[in-house]
Amino acid sequence: MVSHRLLAAPIDLHRPAHYVHWGIVQISVPNLIVVGLLVLVLVLAVLLPFPRGGGR
Amino acid sequence: MTGTPTRRRWASRRADPAAQEWAGDTREFDLVKELLVALVVVGVLCVALAGLFSSPDDRPITVARWAKAAPGDFVATAVTELDGTSRTASYGPPYNSFPGAGQELGPLPLQRWGGVRARVDTAQDFVLRPLREVPADPVLTGALSEWSSAPAAVQMEWATAYGDAVAKAPGGDPGAVAPGDYGPVPLLMTRLLGLGQTGALDGLLVSQDRFYATDYTKPLLFLADGTYLEDTARAQNLGGDQWGMMNETGSWPGQAWLWLYTFWYQVKPFSTSDNADALVWGLMAVLSLVFVCLPFIPGLRSLPRHLGVHRLIWRQHYRQVEGPKRPAES
Repeated sequence: MVSHRLLAAPIDLHRPAHYVHWGIVQISVPNLIVVGLLVLVLVLAVLLPFPRGGGR
Repeated sequence: MTGTPTRRRWASRRADPAAQEWAGDTREFDLVKELLVALVVVGVLCVALAGLFSSPDDRPITVARWAKAAPGDFVATAVTELDGTSRTASYGPPYNSFPGAGQELGPLPLQRWGGVRARVDTAQDFVLRPLREVPADPVLTGALSEWSSAPAAVQMEWATAYGDAVAKAPGGDPGAVAPGDYGPVPLLMTRLLGLGQTGALDGLLVSQDRFYATDYTKPLLFLADGTYLEDTARAQNLGGDQWGMMNETGSWPGQAWLWLYTFWYQVKPFSTSDNADALVWGLMAVLSLVFVCLPFIPGLRSLPRHLGVHRLIWRQHYRQVEGPKRPAES
């Protein structure tokens, strides 16, 4: 039992997810977070300057 | 207008910036280094996130679990397998050649084109053959003989009457079915339920025609004919009309990139069509073709240039090339 606890993940996701409903759209909060992170990475990739001052 | 068609074509190609060769500065780019850095970063992220969140590990839904949790649904489903009225029995190819069954895309009978490649006889495969494997049970052997020696019409009467009786029994409990003329069906069902609850039926339904038994087609079809599997899936928002293709069990993120595929199942005419799978597949095939052919479609291929995202990414370069913007002269 102790070893099982030691091996368990620190964040337990074995519980029902919350869902966001908007018209016909239905999306889980975990999916929404991942989509938000993807959009954030895209925006950062577009807006962040190139390394070394971008003067190349 | 003057000039030959060839000259006009060349002139139009010169006018299209997308068709011109790059004449500006170039610089060296270490693609291998970039790939390696990306591989290491993504690899570290994968290991760290797997350690932090683990992964979905739901208990599998087996025939045994179904038979124990919902014996009424198990028996009601088994009766439809016996009398050939289940979803699998009328599915059509690749399992059988049920008349008129199979999804179509307009005039194209896509499902029937594949033919019957994994034949399933629901009465034999899901009920009678597993019961014949039970050793030293003369009562069961007698019931199987009675069933197989009865005319098809009588078999249908027995199974239909028993199915109706199970549906009317309190809580769908097969043990509380009202007395009636069901022939050997109640005994066959009791024995099949016993086989299911012990887990023996799981093994008997798995295809044994190869060294490693990995063909779970039959137990999955049997499970899918009942309501237990669907109810369990719907409770976790995995139903087709719940955007289920995108979702995962528990609180893990799912396959968000399938949003467009599953979106079509939520809107008419797909959401109300018996041919939804074929229609959605056809639509996605057309959209994918458009996507693949994007560089050859005039107008669409010029969208990136008009949107100007590249000018935002290379804003420093454009600032240097074009100089600082001066206020408009009044």
